[in-house]
Amino acid sequence: MSNINTNTRFPRRTLLRGVGAAMSLPLLDIMLPTRAQAAPNSTATPKRMAYVFFPNGAIMENWKPSGEGEDFEFSPTLKLLEKHRSDLTIFSGLTQHHGRANGDGAGDHARNAGSFLTGAQPRKTSGSDIKLGVSADQAAAQVIGKHTKLPSLELGIVRGRNAGNCDSGYSCAYSSNISWKSETTPMAKEINPKLAFERLFGSADAERGRAQRDLYRKSILDLVAEDAALLRRKLGKKDRQKVEEYFTSVRELELQIERAATRRAEVPEYDVPEGIPRETGDHIRLMYDIILLAFQTDSTRIASFMLGNAGSNRSYPMVGVKGGHHGLSHHRNDKQKMADITKIDQYLIGHFAAFLDRLKATPDGESNLLDNSMILYGSAIADGNRHSHDDLPILVAGSGGGTIKTGRYLKYDNNTPLNNLFLAMSHRVGANVESIGDSTGPLPRLDA
Amino acid sequence: MLIRITCPSCGIAFQVERRFAGQWGTCPNPDCRQDYLVPEPDSDQSEDPPLQLRSRNQVTVIEGSLVAEPELTQPAPEPPATPSPTSAPSPTPAPSPTPAPPEPPQETSGYDAEDAPSHTDGEHRSTDQQRHSPHSPSRESAAGDQPETSYPIRDRSLSRRQQRKNEKREQGQRRRFQIACLVVLLLGVLGSLVLRHFFPPNATVSQRAAAAETEQTAAQPQPARPQPASDEVFHNQVLPFLKKHCIDCHGAEEPMAGLTFHDVKSPDEVTGKRERWEKILKLLRFQVMPPEDHDVQPSPTEREAAVAWLDKKLFFVDCALAGNSGRVTIRRLNRNEYNNTIRDLLGVDFKPADDFPSDDVGNGFDNIGDVLTLPPLLLEKYVEASEDIVDRAILTAGEAGDSTRFVGDQLKSEGGRPSRANFVMMSSNGHVYQDFEFPVAGKYLLRAEAAADQAGPEPARMSLRLDGKQVRRFDIKGHRKPGEYEVQVEVPRGRHQVAAAFVNDYYMPKAPNPKDRDRNLAVRFLEVRGPLDAKPPESHQRLIFTRPDDKQTVEQAATKILHAFMPRAFRRPVDDNEVQRIVKLVRFVMDKEDSFDRAIQVGVQAVLVSPHFLFRVEHDPEQNDADAQQSGKSTTQPAYRLNHYEIASRLSYFLWSSMPDKELFALAAERRLGDRQVIERQVQRMLKDKRSDALVEHFIGQWLNLRNLDEVTPDTDRFQTFTPELKRDMVRETEMFARTIIRENRSILDFLDADFTYVNQRLAEHYGIPEIQGEMFQRVSLPTNQRAGVLTHASILTLTSNPTRTSPVKRGKWILENILGNEPPPAPPNVPDFEITAKANPEATLRQQLEKHRDHPGCASCHKTLDPLGFGFENFDAVGRWRDKDGDAAIDASGTLPGGETFSGPVELVRILKKSDRDFGRCFTEKLLTYALGRGLEYYDRCAVDRILDAVAEQDYRFQALATHVALSQPFLMRQPASGETP
Repeated sequence: MSNINTNTRFPRRTLLRGVGAAMSLPLLDIMLPTRAQAAPNSTATPKRMAYVFFPNGAIMENWKPSGEGEDFEFSPTLKLLEKHRSDLTIFSGLTQHHGRANGDGAGDHARNAGSFLTGAQPRKTSGSDIKLGVSADQAAAQVIGKHTKLPSLELGIVRGRNAGNCDSGYSCAYSSNISWKSETTPMAKEINPKLAFERLFGSADAERGRAQRDLYRKSILDLVAEDAALLRRKLGKKDRQKVEEYFTSVRELELQIERAATRRAEVPEYDVPEGIPRETGDHIRLMYDIILLAFQTDSTRIASFMLGNAGSNRSYPMVGVKGGHHGLSHHRNDKQKMADITKIDQYLIGHFAAFLDRLKATPDGESNLLDNSMILYGSAIADGNRHSHDDLPILVAGSGGGTIKTGRYLKYDNNTPLNNLFLAMSHRVGANVESIGDSTGPLPRLDA
Repeated sequence: MLIRITCPSCGIAFQVERRFAGQWGTCPNPDCRQDYLVPEPDSDQSEDPPLQLRSRNQVTVIEGSLVAEPELTQPAPEPPATPSPTSAPSPTPAPSPTPAPPEPPQETSGYDAEDAPSHTDGEHRSTDQQRHSPHSPSRESAAGDQPETSYPIRDRSLSRRQQRKNEKREQGQRRRFQIACLVVLLLGVLGSLVLRHFFPPNATVSQRAAAAETEQTAAQPQPARPQPASDEVFHNQVLPFLKKHCIDCHGAEEPMAGLTFHDVKSPDEVTGKRERWEKILKLLRFQVMPPEDHDVQPSPTEREAAVAWLDKKLFFVDCALAGNSGRVTIRRLNRNEYNNTIRDLLGVDFKPADDFPSDDVGNGFDNIGDVLTLPPLLLEKYVEASEDIVDRAILTAGEAGDSTRFVGDQLKSEGGRPSRANFVMMSSNGHVYQDFEFPVAGKYLLRAEAAADQAGPEPARMSLRLDGKQVRRFDIKGHRKPGEYEVQVEVPRGRHQVAAAFVNDYYMPKAPNPKDRDRNLAVRFLEVRGPLDAKPPESHQRLIFTRPDDKQTVEQAATKILHAFMPRAFRRPVDDNEVQRIVKLVRFVMDKEDSFDRAIQVGVQAVLVSPHFLFRVEHDPEQNDADAQQSGKSTTQPAYRLNHYEIASRLSYFLWSSMPDKELFALAAERRLGDRQVIERQVQRMLKDKRSDALVEHFIGQWLNLRNLDEVTPDTDRFQTFTPELKRDMVRETEMFARTIIRENRSILDFLDADFTYVNQRLAEHYGIPEIQGEMFQRVSLPTNQRAGVLTHASILTLTSNPTRTSPVKRGKWILENILGNEPPPAPPNVPDFEITAKANPEATLRQQLEKHRDHPGCASCHKTLDPLGFGFENFDAVGRWRDKDGDAAIDASGTLPGGETFSGPVELVRILKKSDRDFGRCFTEKLLTYALGRGLEYYDRCAVDRILDAVAEQDYRFQALATHVALSQPFLMRQPASGETP
């Protein structure tokens, strides 16, 4: 009995410090938590995918690389990713058709977030009858989610807006969620890094008496599932939908408890943040860390992350941008505003680059975590000034375990459905879904 | 078991199943349809009990061509929201404890919707009042004459055959009844002539002129019944309009926006594609379409005709008919409601829901049943929260308190190292410690087991510490002899560090006696026991008021406890089956842990995760399912009245964002929440209660978009005085102001132009108000020339600005949406809704830049309304400070509204806005009703809104009157059955 740490699962007790304490990543190999038991019948290193969304589009002339294929030059905005050139696939021509009005009038921002991963047209309603479609991440989670503690992870840095209208007659549900479990159920996102961490790895306090707690949880869930089953019989159609949604969530949580019992990741060494950091930069970094830790411990293989709600009017004083993001995005070719937007674009790309650095530095199987992942970064608005939804700013980092030939700038015909790329990615993580939203088939040429 | 009933209106006798007792039924005679309250079955069934009725104008059932007489001096009917004129047939006490029926939800005032899309109201309101009050009694007496007239009664439980039979039998009586109906009808029709404002929520200010015109025509004799949009007008005016002005761009070939009109043939296509046509209507009305650069422009008359017809086609509701009450989708408790409900249910005051994902907003509010979803993440949070909650609400400690012991390597240490037998050895001064969550404040025992290597002149000493402070120091007895040392200490609730420290190290390696060389301390465990004075929290005692003992089993005790708890949690009576299912769970836990407290904890958790707790379930009255299925179309299914418990919850969640309290539950149990006066008194009582602060925080906060101030980030270089503290002050000002209006029962018009507000020193300096000291807010009078009402609050002014400058467009839009209830159509695609840069003239002021908007035909139509409203507030900068100059340019805060009114400066503009009291009243009422119901309003809710408005206009739009009439309104008290749901 020499090391007080050997007996406890929670060395990070000693690390419960405030936000801002230096992060201990990349982790020393010796501290690496053992990966949770891999899924049965699968000895290969799992592949992961994440979708990162940024609001308000980009200054496309500063975003788009020049050249084509392997022979391309980085643009001013993407230059910060130069270091990861060989890990990247940059796309042009991809389009999210359902971001367009298609007869529904204004509301391009709500549609930007709403259609981004779903490839579906949000029903224009500010209240009743919300309807969209299943998002790419959730379509995949429904297939491979069973292999991990959490089928998927949804993160953000800003809560949904909580008063007024979000965008031209669209419910705020569309603006503040990119991940949709069903046509009617958005997957709420976690914005508090501490809670996200505890959700994945538990807290020290919760760990005591965990087995018993889980037993009771399951008994309770059984009981309330029965409540719901009895209740829904007596209800009208719309009420029943709500109770069915409840029922589905109960079942999901039951499965999660079961999976957690057999596939428990150890808690990684990490300075657990105390709450929501004040500085946007710290916040973004921490949320990326959570994705990294979740992937690293194979607690989930699918994540989505919103860098802002659609139409966000946040300002970025840390890079000298005083105006609101959305306001500036309607630059009407004003040089100063375009320069400001470019600064925001670069700032966000900078954080993404740092995330890739850390993924790359994290060993995983025979290679590293970045190699075994596909991290998509993009938006369903290209030019924020005109609200265009074609030729979108989209890139994917990581080769999905060598299944994508990276280091290229791939040009597709304009109006190629963005969802075709999602379909191709889903197939690569083992979710062989037939279609997602408006996809017409997996995007070709990724591996050749 | 059947209850015999004789309809006091038409005299028909019939029977009703007992299960309908206490509910509203309708006389089966289709010519009567008298609403009555099914009495409680009397043990003595020899006599039909007297019935309670509620009135219904029979305007709709009379055949023939009754034409209203234009006798405007005749009595107008009561506004429907004031006491029902048709009271019980006799003063005989009602057989059931439910007293006279409240606002007759299906009563109509013979409301004439013919004049629907027009009318400003200001002028009319006064005449309305004059006509109204003196004559009300006469109507009552007329109604009072009715009892002997009789109506057959229809009830859901009656077969159609029975109904027909009844009808036949009643034919003889019909004439009498028709006379009575005629009286009612006349009154109704006269009421319809009281020109009610039926201004559609999206009519523009500029439409007023047209409205006034129509008003004049409306004053002419009107047909008795409000007429729906006529097909004739469609064919003669609307179709030609579309052909002439729209088909060019929206025809068969390459239609713009994918919209075509060439294929529109029948008027019903309009209602068939309601959403699309509502949009079209709005664009026509705002004169966005046809675009100004289109060759042929419709004349104002042409446009008005098309607009009027479309409005009528889309929004016409015959308020005289039994209206659609709407159907609220069951509402999940939102975060605020969850927090408050837990507080009131269990008496634990912490906010478990603060960590929940945010509730999505629909129709401007976060309590809309349709929009509140329940993703897996949220359920996970519910389960976790339930654990936290029961931990706080129920103390599982035995009488001596729980004890927790940290042994050996469970102890953290500084200067210690593990030693044999789980001891941690400190060979120089140091300490072992652990953090511990003290569940409640109280007296605890700290205990440590320690042993020492003794050496030197004094014994080894150990200090037991709480949060680094010594509680007591012990001399350790004996050499290497383990002993326990303990001390009692008062500890406040929460996380604290307990420690055992070695404080007198001694090291003399050269000492002659080897036993005298080294003094050490070793600690094996630290223990916390308590609370010793364990007085369980009040919630615990209230919940666990009985325990298993010799006289009762675990199951019996648990049953008692749950029978008391579950009805409060589910906000309704529970049946024994429901209780026993939880009792089984309690037993299951008992078998595992043998702690009754723990077992009840888990049982309570199950209640808190149950859909009956998390959702506000409203059940359709049980009915013959087959019947409901068969009736198929089922739009004929009448709305039903919510049961008393459901009404209690509607009231409490409306006014408190929380569960009903004892009094409401008691009233529900006594079945008294159908009584209008009871509801009125409750609303008054509830608004006085502190819990009504929820209304300020959640209703006002969302109506005024105060919550969005969080996201606003003014440029602090430009606005250096803007700090997070100031931002909080701004919100607080508006909240305190709103609270005053609610608590003091002031007119909601005070929101527009009150001459007082609340400031603390910081905000006063911001406003330039002298002599206010300190953090405390105080009520101050406003200088009359600068600020008045909420539109001049820094909160509103800031949240409608851009980070670096003001945005008159945003301010104008905000006023249209939230004050005038007149949301403009969204900006056309690819034209940003603000921020036109003056490329041509970079020196132009913001105002000049914006004026360019109006050179552009696509923009002009809306911006001629939006911009002046915003300009009026240009005297306030982007954080709400007064200014006379923007840079070097003098502020020009003058403007002309589309109606021609001119103003200079915010106060004058506010005065003009106040003249639109009916518009503001409507806007506010619609928002309040949306919030109260938890659903978006539909076109058919217009009748309810009008009735509320009519009633409160007479009471100077006082807030309590408004809240009361919302609570008495048909959509609040009634619900359409599910069978009427559109698929």
